[in-house]
Amino acid sequence: MREVWKVWAFGLLVLGFVGMAQIEITFWSAPNPSQEVFWRRMAERYMAEHPGVKITVSPIPETPTSEAGILAAIAGGVAPTASENIFIGFGDELVRSQAVVPWNAFPGWEDLVKARNMEETMKSWIFADGNYYIIPMYVNAMLIAWRIDILRELGYDKPPRTYSEVLAVGERLKAVHPDKFLWLRSELEVPTWWQRWFDFFVFYYAASGGQPFLIGAEIVADDKAAVEALRFFKTLRDKKLLITEPLAAGFEVGKTIMTVLGPWTFPWWKENYPELVYGKTFVLTPPPVPDWYPADAPVFTFADAKGVVMYAQATLEQRQAMWDFIRWVLSNTEHDLAWVQITGMLPARDDVSTNPLFITYIQEKEPALLAYAANIPYAVPPIAHYQYVQIQELMGLECIYPVLVGDLTPEEGWAAWKAAVRTVLK
Amino acid sequence: MKLQKELRGWLLASPYLLTAVLFFLIPLGWSLSLVLFDWNLIAPVRIYVGLGNFQEALRSTRVLHAFVNTYKFMAAIVPAVVVVSLGLALIVHHLPRLKWFYAVGFFLPYLASGVAISLVVRGVLSYDSAFNAFLRATFGSAPRWLREPAWATLVISAMIVWKLSGYYALIFLAGLQNIPRELYEAAALDGAGALTQFGKITLPLLYPAFYTVLILAVGLCFGIFTEPYVLTGGGPRFATYTWQLEIYYQAFERFRAGYGATVAVLNALATFVSVLIIRRLVESWGVRKGFR
Amino acid sequence: MRLTKSRKNTKNLMLYILATLVLLVMIAPYLYMLLQSLAPWHEVDRVFVPTSLSFRSYQWLFAGGAATLPRPWLRALGNSALVASVVTFSRVIFGAFVGYALAVLSFHGRRIVHNFILFHMFYPGIILLVPTFLLIRAMGLYNTYLAMILPGLVSTWAIFMYANFFRSVPKEVVEAARIDGAGELRIIFRIMIPIARPVTTIVFLFLFMERWIELLWDMIVVRDPAKQTLNVLLTTMFGPYGGYPGPLYAAGVLLTFPIVLVFLIFSRKFVQGVSLVIST
Repeated sequence: MREVWKVWAFGLLVLGFVGMAQIEITFWSAPNPSQEVFWRRMAERYMAEHPGVKITVSPIPETPTSEAGILAAIAGGVAPTASENIFIGFGDELVRSQAVVPWNAFPGWEDLVKARNMEETMKSWIFADGNYYIIPMYVNAMLIAWRIDILRELGYDKPPRTYSEVLAVGERLKAVHPDKFLWLRSELEVPTWWQRWFDFFVFYYAASGGQPFLIGAEIVADDKAAVEALRFFKTLRDKKLLITEPLAAGFEVGKTIMTVLGPWTFPWWKENYPELVYGKTFVLTPPPVPDWYPADAPVFTFADAKGVVMYAQATLEQRQAMWDFIRWVLSNTEHDLAWVQITGMLPARDDVSTNPLFITYIQEKEPALLAYAANIPYAVPPIAHYQYVQIQELMGLECIYPVLVGDLTPEEGWAAWKAAVRTVLK
Repeated sequence: MKLQKELRGWLLASPYLLTAVLFFLIPLGWSLSLVLFDWNLIAPVRIYVGLGNFQEALRSTRVLHAFVNTYKFMAAIVPAVVVVSLGLALIVHHLPRLKWFYAVGFFLPYLASGVAISLVVRGVLSYDSAFNAFLRATFGSAPRWLREPAWATLVISAMIVWKLSGYYALIFLAGLQNIPRELYEAAALDGAGALTQFGKITLPLLYPAFYTVLILAVGLCFGIFTEPYVLTGGGPRFATYTWQLEIYYQAFERFRAGYGATVAVLNALATFVSVLIIRRLVESWGVRKGFR
Repeated sequence: MRLTKSRKNTKNLMLYILATLVLLVMIAPYLYMLLQSLAPWHEVDRVFVPTSLSFRSYQWLFAGGAATLPRPWLRALGNSALVASVVTFSRVIFGAFVGYALAVLSFHGRRIVHNFILFHMFYPGIILLVPTFLLIRAMGLYNTYLAMILPGLVSTWAIFMYANFFRSVPKEVVEAARIDGAGELRIIFRIMIPIARPVTTIVFLFLFMERWIELLWDMIVVRDPAKQTLNVLLTTMFGPYGGYPGPLYAAGVLLTFPIVLVFLIFSRKFVQGVSLVIST
């Protein structure tokens, strides 16, 4: 009996030592399910090689956005060691409240930038104080997907390019299939700020040739392009080509034929709609443009780009351990390949369209990503101002919704947004 | 012995007194100081703004929406819930058998989490749901449910009426069962029909139950959160925006602790005054009609 | 006489049909949730009654899919059960303690305590949301089970329920026990709580249900997915799992049906006790 106790005590002692020697760090992955899969796998592999570290991976609690979830955790003093899913505007907000630490202060930063081949990419991620607080994970040049099978049935062999062409396709669609719609965008009538990235930003950047909304705290947007894009939305809605009611899947079941598409959708499609095949049932194009937009000019779009930050609440020891982990993940090109395979998104590297490792995989397994890779040069980053929430919320509240329901003309709506934002920026 | 007796009372009451100090009095005091500051929950310094938070809140359209919507919800919910729950109670009351079976069945909605029911409502109202497909096939079109301000208000109200009716029916049922049978028998002898009996006996004698249900339902309209939070986010165009959504938004999404606390104070004030007025109105109406 | 009897029978039959129809409407959302959770994925929300049964949604919920990891649903269910049980149990016990003190014992300040509880009860709780959050944070309890449990340990409603009931208990019962040398705790546990059984059933059920579906507070004070209640977890999954309505329905079933079951087990007692509660 005594021996049993001794063994127990010894076991506990050993466990205690191991526990003490182990550094515990937490990593919050994006709420997008496949990104969590990636980080869990990385953490498991890393822990197998480094028994002194325990990494807990869990998705950012969305309450109701991941940004709010992170801020709440910081406010409560329970921020993770690091998290992904940080875009540049949120980064600005975090830097202002001194909640994050710069990556370039860690020894070996330069080596990592070289090893991951992201020297060019990093240029757009520098902050006002000259530091790098975000390591970008991916860049998605948002594209438009078209149901080419339905277009062909309607007598088109390629998707429309300009607003007029789109409307012509729409008219034909309604004539043949009165119950179908051109575009399902239920969020267009919802003021949730980040939804604007995936509708208005896309069309505005395309119409304006990539002109930013703001530089610093100055509105520099192209008014004509913005009004034109708004008018296009309004026309689509008036002609009943746009459906804004909630619907789980419209494009996927052929109820609608056009959608703004990010590559993160592909893993979901594979599981739920394997019949959607690139080139056969759908094709990808840059966003439609106003009729006056030159046909030979490149078409710009929105760049959905997010990355990893380290939080200041972590202890120095945890920071070092997290840095080692992140460096381990990102200096191995195989890991970035795994990223593409699991999440369907392109890693934020300079060589994503030249490195044979990616090219071979993409060509063989995911040819749709070629289009995303080709459009990265024309993808414009989000508004970097720390008051992004209000600025983008006002887009929906003051401008898009009133224009859609006809309370304001596109010109009035756009002016209303600018006026409202000016008071915010003051 | 005397001291021991005193001590016993205070000792047994102490669990309440402790939590009341800790989670009622201290936060109450704290909130009174919070409203004077602009503070984002993280920053080490708070900025003293005096009554600035109140000035901002009283001018805010969000607060105005929350304020007005509460009465819109009240106008939709209170009459509906009274009628429905009274109807349920009458059904159960008149059943010769299996009363408890139906009473329990009608009560089941009260157990539903607003989140789970929002899930169902979102599914049922999604554009190509079986329900909407049926509506379009029968009537040619279906409402834009959660995208039209008036419909969205009605949908949220209906969810709340559905949830509470079975519970309030129990209150009416208790009232109905307290009405002596002899009254009806005497009225029948006088030749009063079923409707007259209902109007002259049942309704007046149910006044206490009406009163309870009314006050409960009115108070509830000031605390709507889960359904719009999950289902509409307060939209479309703030049509379903409520006090609690605004407090959550300001304090826990925008992290404006002082301002959030200010809106909470205004909410409490509006609740208090409204409930008081409605109470008085119902009471004086009851007195005038001779119900109490 | 015969005629009126048969007329009465028809009337009753109509009443039963009406009652059953209404009952169906009242439980329709539950049925819908259950049926959709068992529907093949391409049928979810597109049909009222699935053409065939499929457990894919449940499988997916617990095992994850091709590109998704499972969330800790069962753990969250456990968390909900833990938080709701502890809180309800404590509210019942302390409700009986304080109710006993107010109704049976005479001590100086009893009226003050009584009136203070009244004041507390009618004070809209929402005003305290932000400061209570700050208090929990200052106590170092943010993101812990205690944060969900502590602020709700005592319920003023439960206190009043017990106090009202104990007042109706004849003084002699307590006096007799005192003469036998019983202490106050003994009187509460051995005599008062057993007599108050119908009150306890009602108080327990109402408080348990209320705690089970709490959202706002639990969402604010707990961020750790391992500690989230099922209601909060389901709320946070509305967005990320938006493309998987089937599994969300399965999670809804997981959240709803245990509480329905608990209620149905006690339902007979509930109906017997409820009139007692409502008349007070």
